[in-house]
Amino acid sequence: MILIWLIAIPVAGGLAAWLLDKWAPGAPRWTALVAMLLNLLIGLRLLAPAEGPWLVAIDVPWIDAFGIRFHLAIDGLSAVLITLTNGLGMIAVACSWHEIDRRRGFFFFNLLWVLAGIIGVFSALDLFLFYFFWELMMVPMFFLIAIWGHENRIYAAVKFFLFTQIGGLLMLAAIIGLYIVHGRATGIYTFDYNALLGTAMAPPTAMWLMLGFLIAFAVKLPAFPVHSWLPDAHTEAPTAGSVILAGLLLKTGAYGLLRFVIPLFPEAARTFAPFGMLLAVIAILYGALLAFSQTDLKRLVAYTSISHMGFVMLAIFAWNELALQGAVIQIVCHGISTGALFIIVGMLQERLHTRDLRRMGGLWDQMPRMGGMALLFALASLGLPGLGNFVGEFLILIGVYPVHRTLTILAALGLVAASIYSLWIVQQAFHGRARETRHRLTDLTGREGTILGALVLAIVWLGLYPQPVFTLTRPVLDRMLQTARSAPATPLKITLAPAATARAAGPVEGDWHADR
Amino acid sequence: MMWQQFTPELYHFAAALLFTALSMTRRVDNRRDYWVALSLAGGGLIVCLAAVRAEGLLFLNTYKVDLFAQLFKVLLSMGLFLVVALCSELNGVARRWHSEFYLLLFTCTLAMMLLVSSVHLISIYVSLELSSYSLYVLVALRRDAAMGTQAALRYFLIGIFSSAIMLFGLALLYAATGLTYLSDLVQVLPGVIDQPLVLVAVVLTLGGFFFKLALFPFHFWAPDVYVGAPNQLAAFIATASKVAAVAVLLRVVAATGGQETLLVDSLAALAIISMTVGNLAALVQKDFKRLLAYSSIAQAGYVLIGILCMSPEGADAAIFYALALLLMKFTCFLAVVKIAADGGNPSLDALAGLHRRSPLLALALMMAVFALAGIPPTIGFTAKLLVFSAAMHKGYLVLVLIAMFNVVISLYYYLLIVKAAYLTEPAVETPAPVLSLSARALTTALIIAIVVVGFYPNPLIVMARQASSSLF
Repeated sequence: MILIWLIAIPVAGGLAAWLLDKWAPGAPRWTALVAMLLNLLIGLRLLAPAEGPWLVAIDVPWIDAFGIRFHLAIDGLSAVLITLTNGLGMIAVACSWHEIDRRRGFFFFNLLWVLAGIIGVFSALDLFLFYFFWELMMVPMFFLIAIWGHENRIYAAVKFFLFTQIGGLLMLAAIIGLYIVHGRATGIYTFDYNALLGTAMAPPTAMWLMLGFLIAFAVKLPAFPVHSWLPDAHTEAPTAGSVILAGLLLKTGAYGLLRFVIPLFPEAARTFAPFGMLLAVIAILYGALLAFSQTDLKRLVAYTSISHMGFVMLAIFAWNELALQGAVIQIVCHGISTGALFIIVGMLQERLHTRDLRRMGGLWDQMPRMGGMALLFALASLGLPGLGNFVGEFLILIGVYPVHRTLTILAALGLVAASIYSLWIVQQAFHGRARETRHRLTDLTGREGTILGALVLAIVWLGLYPQPVFTLTRPVLDRMLQTARSAPATPLKITLAPAATARAAGPVEGDWHADR
Repeated sequence: MMWQQFTPELYHFAAALLFTALSMTRRVDNRRDYWVALSLAGGGLIVCLAAVRAEGLLFLNTYKVDLFAQLFKVLLSMGLFLVVALCSELNGVARRWHSEFYLLLFTCTLAMMLLVSSVHLISIYVSLELSSYSLYVLVALRRDAAMGTQAALRYFLIGIFSSAIMLFGLALLYAATGLTYLSDLVQVLPGVIDQPLVLVAVVLTLGGFFFKLALFPFHFWAPDVYVGAPNQLAAFIATASKVAAVAVLLRVVAATGGQETLLVDSLAALAIISMTVGNLAALVQKDFKRLLAYSSIAQAGYVLIGILCMSPEGADAAIFYALALLLMKFTCFLAVVKIAADGGNPSLDALAGLHRRSPLLALALMMAVFALAGIPPTIGFTAKLLVFSAAMHKGYLVLVLIAMFNVVISLYYYLLIVKAAYLTEPAVETPAPVLSLSARALTTALIIAIVVVGFYPNPLIVMARQASSSLF
């Protein structure tokens, strides 16, 4: 029942916000804030170790004629991600408090429906239902960008929509394909995740189906070379939209890889893993390089997301416990730190009416508090020990090292690049001499300080004591590792140089790659 | 006994006769005509619903009453009722011709009802022609006579061309098999479908139905007729007329067997070309109705995928798709009619700021457009899912991928409609469309139907399954 509430509250809150808009101009934002607070509190109850594989589940027939069930279930991984969703959702509502000045009701309606869709994605265990939520989050996001975005908003929104739809439709084809393959083999036509796990199929079929899923998630993640929607969408979206895009929507891609691609198609994913890791490293370096060459601050932050999410993809394709633990922490911390950076950019834009780095400089004098916050999150982004992102990236690199040394070293170069662009942000925007005369700027207001303060607490806590997240997610990751490892081995036709290197490095205990 | 099974047809025949009488009265009273037509169409819907479980063979076995036919008759009468409900401001037709307009709508519906029940080649041909001729005249009733006549003439010329092709196909079919009953053909055709003569005969025969469905290469009339016809009539052509075409195509294609043959390949080719041509042409349209016409051509391609599967799943999908098309297209045309209150042709720009001028209408249009684009949770998504999974059951993976690629192309122009309605503001302030209380109720009902059926399609899928069981 709790699962229904988690989705129903944002849905109902969104509708209420929309309808109340006529009644009082301030009503939508309060409705949205209360709804998300309620959701956060309810969601906190989920952060408990599970007895069985699933903490809570709901499973009722939905479209019987097609074997589709309304099956939602949560384990530790989903619970962590849902808490992140609720938390960032509240932050997103709070940072739109004054920024959104027209069609407020519709804005908060869209915002809450995106969040409802994301929570659905993180908890759906019926593939059809998953696709349903996957699509449900697209349309409101399209409106968020297209109505309340900046200059090129419609172009960015349409590009975002088309990219994700291409991926989504390929995933739909793969879902139907898996449904039919499983139905032919067993006579039971179902979309249920648990039933579909371990479906026996010919390697080429598995490869094609996996690619269908993979492309959808890679677009969302975003992985090189399907990342080009991201800079536009992130840059043009309003602050809350950027926070949700970077903090949550990208995570649905990582979650999909983790939950669906590898457990459902372990053999095909193993064959693909060297390519996946290679693409991930390209994303890390390429994203960092592009980030460094931006002059639009928001675009710069957007490109850093590509680089950081590359680490997550690298970890997932390395598929061992350390790397996966790192990926989960990285997912959470990137959501927080990048969300915070986008919020700071939004605040700067509200004050300066520009996002151009070349027109900033010397802001520290007038806004020391904001400068401090920006410095802290920039340091988080570059992976300073003591802050959450360091834990994630460090674990990922340790986990990936035995699988592939060269790629690990290259990925570590990404950290160097991250230091450059992160410090560049602070140096260009806040230090130095002011490059143009400007009026007096107000430092952080109470509302802004509270928002950023909450995020600081979260990122420091995760940096110093990430154990709760590990405790929650370890059983889930262990089970996933088990599932993917126990799959029947099929002879592989493609042998790649990276795989050979991996073997040379010696098998690691429980290494997925070494099983071949 | 026999006549009871024939009630829906008799009812619509009587209604048409009544309008013949009304059209001969000297006094022109549009309100009277409207209310008479609306109540008759509502009654027709009830009659069809009451007769949905009727079964039997009539008229020397040329006319089959089964769940399949009766279900389509319900859809047709629903289409008629919805279109008549839009006619309260029938400004696209001169005032003195209103009763003729209703008369022909009823005869056309009658003809399409005959069509979905016909199981004999000649009765199929005759009812197809009857429905087409009603439409030719209806198109010409446009108040702007030059525009109406031009569209009607084009419609007529392509129509008789396609029916000539169809007749030729029927003649060849008779020459090859010596049979005219579908029930006999279904015994013989599967064995001989690979003979070139039979294949050509079947494809040519289908040409007549492709014309109805606006499928490549018989689609050229659609954009001009949609633009040239009165808006309400364009709604009728886009909904009821398509539903009837799907029904008859299902019946005839099912009679050819259902094996992997050259026929499937040629139908698949037509589906692909239709989708691609429709979607690519729609990308550049500025006129709202013309855009909807090209979108219809593309949608016809998706329906054909369900039909060419020649499997029970495919038939379910096509039946469901017909219902979905009826609701989605009608909702779009509801917006067209309400925006162009003067009976003119609205451009996409005329939609600007609709979300402010009429939030309900904008919401309905958005839902319909997202349904056409196949985005959940709408009826259009379920329909596409059914079609695609039926095709994948048959192993037509490439066809499905091409269709999905087309869906992505179509998203762009569907988003243009949403953009026009939700994101742009009008250059000059235009008056808000007037929605009466009943129009509001209708619009709300359509929104609810599109979402609810999309969210919980189970009963309708079961219904479609029962209906299609008589085909195979």
